[in-house]
Amino acid sequence: MEITDKDINHLADLSNTSLSSEEKEALKQDLGNILKYIGKLDELNTDGVEPTYQVFEMENVWRNDEIAAQDANREELLNLTKEEIENQIKVPKVL
Amino acid sequence: MKIADSSTSAVSLVESSLKRIEETKDYNIFTYVDKNRALKKAKEIDEKIKRGETVGRLAGVPFALKANFLSKGRPADASAKILTEFISPIDSTTTEKLEAEGAICVGCVNLDAFAHGSSTENSYYGPTSNAFDKTRVAGGSSGGSAVAVALGCVEFATGSDTGGSIRQPAAFNGVFGIKPTYGTISRYGVVAMASSLDVIGFFTKAAEDLDILMSITAGQDPKDQTTLPDFYGKNDTPLNKKKIGFIKEFMESSALNPEIKASLESKLNEAKENGYEIVELSMPTLEYALAAYYIIQPAEVASNLSRYDGVRYGFRSSNVKSLDDLFANTRDEGFMRENKRRIMIGNFVLSSGFYDAYFLKAAKVRTLIIDEFNKAFESVDAILSPVSPNLAFKIGEKTSDPVLMYLEDVMSVPVNLAGIPAVAFPTGKSKDGLPLGLQLLGPRRSDKNLIKLAGKLA
Amino acid sequence: MTEEKNQKYQITIGIECHVQLNTKTKLFSEVDNDARGKEPNSCVSPVDYALPGMLPRLNGEAVKTAIRAGAAMRAKINPMSRFDRKHYFYPDSPKGYQITQFYHPIIGEGSIILPSGKKIRIEHAHLEGDAGKLSHFDTYSLVDLNRVDTPLLEIVSMPDISSAEEARDYCKELWRSMIYANVTNGDLYNGNMRFDVNISLKKPEDKKLGTRAEIKNLNSFRSIERAVLYEYERQSKILDSGEKVVQETRGWSDATGKTTSQRSKEEAQDYRYMPEPDLPPLNLAKDFIDAEYSKCPKLPNDYRTEFKDIIPSDTLEILLDYPELVKVLSEINVANKPIGYISNLFASVLLAEENQSLLNDQLPTSAQLTELAEMKEKKELSSTSAKEVFVKLFEPKHASKSPRELAKELNLIQENDTGALEKIVDDVLANPATKKAQEDYKAGQEKVLGFLVGQVMKESKGKANPGAVSEILKNKLK
Repeated sequence: MEITDKDINHLADLSNTSLSSEEKEALKQDLGNILKYIGKLDELNTDGVEPTYQVFEMENVWRNDEIAAQDANREELLNLTKEEIENQIKVPKVL
Repeated sequence: MKIADSSTSAVSLVESSLKRIEETKDYNIFTYVDKNRALKKAKEIDEKIKRGETVGRLAGVPFALKANFLSKGRPADASAKILTEFISPIDSTTTEKLEAEGAICVGCVNLDAFAHGSSTENSYYGPTSNAFDKTRVAGGSSGGSAVAVALGCVEFATGSDTGGSIRQPAAFNGVFGIKPTYGTISRYGVVAMASSLDVIGFFTKAAEDLDILMSITAGQDPKDQTTLPDFYGKNDTPLNKKKIGFIKEFMESSALNPEIKASLESKLNEAKENGYEIVELSMPTLEYALAAYYIIQPAEVASNLSRYDGVRYGFRSSNVKSLDDLFANTRDEGFMRENKRRIMIGNFVLSSGFYDAYFLKAAKVRTLIIDEFNKAFESVDAILSPVSPNLAFKIGEKTSDPVLMYLEDVMSVPVNLAGIPAVAFPTGKSKDGLPLGLQLLGPRRSDKNLIKLAGKLA
Repeated sequence: MTEEKNQKYQITIGIECHVQLNTKTKLFSEVDNDARGKEPNSCVSPVDYALPGMLPRLNGEAVKTAIRAGAAMRAKINPMSRFDRKHYFYPDSPKGYQITQFYHPIIGEGSIILPSGKKIRIEHAHLEGDAGKLSHFDTYSLVDLNRVDTPLLEIVSMPDISSAEEARDYCKELWRSMIYANVTNGDLYNGNMRFDVNISLKKPEDKKLGTRAEIKNLNSFRSIERAVLYEYERQSKILDSGEKVVQETRGWSDATGKTTSQRSKEEAQDYRYMPEPDLPPLNLAKDFIDAEYSKCPKLPNDYRTEFKDIIPSDTLEILLDYPELVKVLSEINVANKPIGYISNLFASVLLAEENQSLLNDQLPTSAQLTELAEMKEKKELSSTSAKEVFVKLFEPKHASKSPRELAKELNLIQENDTGALEKIVDDVLANPATKKAQEDYKAGQEKVLGFLVGQVMKESKGKANPGAVSEILKNKLK
């Protein structure tokens, strides 16, 4: 499958990643080749086959509704961010 | 594994480990060395031993963490720029269990950024060299872990295996590596790559060491609701058919290196001499495993890497005028080319209009592959297989062609798609002195017996 | 909406409602789910903060609560359900995706019956995690993750709603059903329930629906009604002028009374839904579902049937906003009369502006209320005194007393003893000041009787029973 400039820009948007024009060119090539390879699956008939998303037989795994101590507290978490104002994370204005 | 006791002090074990790390610097194995903390912990353990207190099953044993394992107070950057400056406030369940048994973390080791790769060349810190030839790759993604064990920097190292990331570097460096049954060891606190494929495992120099590490780290974890109820050493799947299979399609593959093929044949003969019946298995669907894997894995990768946006932790681009910049520039500067490839492929196969043709199709192929393994294990205890069609290749040899690099995984990914266990073990040297290795595949929950069997065959 | 316009365009409305569930902890971590009055980011676990390697830990109570909510919509519960990831980048979404149920929701088809009796069908409802909160300043925004992964139930209606009033009634009835089922705190002001209203217009003769606009995040019944009315005007103008309505998300402003197009994050959004690999699927046993389903208490509609012909429907509709009031009424299983009287006390006294604060106090028991009604019935209490006792019963210091005890204390028991009354009456008639009135009455001016009764009441300090007094007066003035 051919990857067009439009495709690559759309994928960059979906991936929320700004790319240089050189990188876009390179990725166009790479992604085209990769998609060509994975297109191989079309050879295989999967009619009536159930999909598998997880490889274990467990169901109904849940915890009790009780407040419990966590592995890191607010200070430890907020220390990881670049900018913080009064215990909130600062980001450029959201329009 | 040498454990600290009255005869050997933990301090001496750690000191020789640190010395070895220093000597092997030019292999680019460690991304972080935790000297002082390791020595401090070693002294504490020696004190306990003096006082005759219990010190745990891994007392004073130096080990390395693959840098995608979170451990309190240590960097956990997964060799990715976007996670540089991230010092973990918490421990992964595995780190916690190992240290509780007295094991001493001497540092963190290199990997392909976010474990995206089969050579450890996609690392923000550059490639790690193969233990037997500095011009060749360590394999990957757990290259640092394999080389650290192979060169004796540590007694064991942790690893994660999504498509071969433990078994292939183990084979490339002549050590043991286990990829357990999916859900055996908690994934809590390990930087996620592809959640339905990721497993935690180990590198050692001896099979029985794998067994000790598994018995310590296996088990259900409330922090990972995909962990299986404890079975290791309790409800293990028996391997008592006295039958070992090999996969016809792999054996006959033109891509398979002749020396690896010869090693596979001789191991099968050994097994035969040891009373095992050898069964040829035809598994035609495995030909499609790699394609299915390179749909499912990137899809989950794209999803799991969505959280790296520069807002809450790690690297943040300095070139930020708007919120869009914050996200897009941080991700552009923070991800390696291979990370971007997988994120974009993943977003492609999940995007509206393509989901059914790619992601859903791959999920169905996954079912067929599982069925094929289930059928195989009705007739055999285990399957002996190459890990990779190749020996350790030259650094730079495959970096220009992603598909060529992906083909490295062709014989390892079926195991992850099926969620079954596999043990990689060394089988000698090639004529150029490069390690040869094979993997033993078993049915779900046969991990313990599989380790035993691999130990016998090695 | 005037009749004339109603004929010109038919309005079709479907509503999505997000209900914050009142579990103790969040959907995927063991931190406090009630962040009201708490500091920013003080109810955030490493899982909510989306550190690397963190995995969701499903709260079983959220599953049970969802089933009870389903019961309140008389909905089918799907034994098989699972979670999916919905991807979008936004600072209030730490994981970069929301964990929701896109392919296999836990709740299937159900319905909500409006007071009018009209049935609005529920298409499905699913569990998902809420997003964080952003506050905006001139040059920057701040992120508070306290609300991240508060359990939400998103309830999606069929487009069965066909007027602004119905939209309001549906939202209100849904809100009532959820607070009766006790699955949410139901505090609209604090966003415990938020409504997205999809509105489209079409000519009556048109088969297919028109293009819809979605008004996001409405959180009061009045704004829902106003927003629909405004959209009707806006869209009909567009259609009148032969143009096309654009499919878009719009925001409502109570201040301007207008909806405005939003440059929303949904813009041409592709959410790339994917099954959540970190959570096992749900496969609920029938008895597990039945056990939760059966916990759903009586709903507004059950009470409508119960109190039909007992409580006037306009009074009942007011009381139905207060589950505890109708509950206590339904506990009074004596003759209908006291219920009628007490419901009236609730509506006219308790819910009167000046008494609203009483709602925070302990409600009198059905036994107390019954006794109070009986005393009023037997005229032992005047209606004024009965109200006084009723109000006093809310005061903690009186709460445990019987209305009779309390009435005695307050000295409000009405004087019905004719002997004593006649004495007072005689005194009043003996008083020269009443001479004129007595003559006028005898002369046939019956209305002056009221004046005389008043005098007697005054003498008795209001304790006399006016009915009894006027009987005695009539006799004496024959």
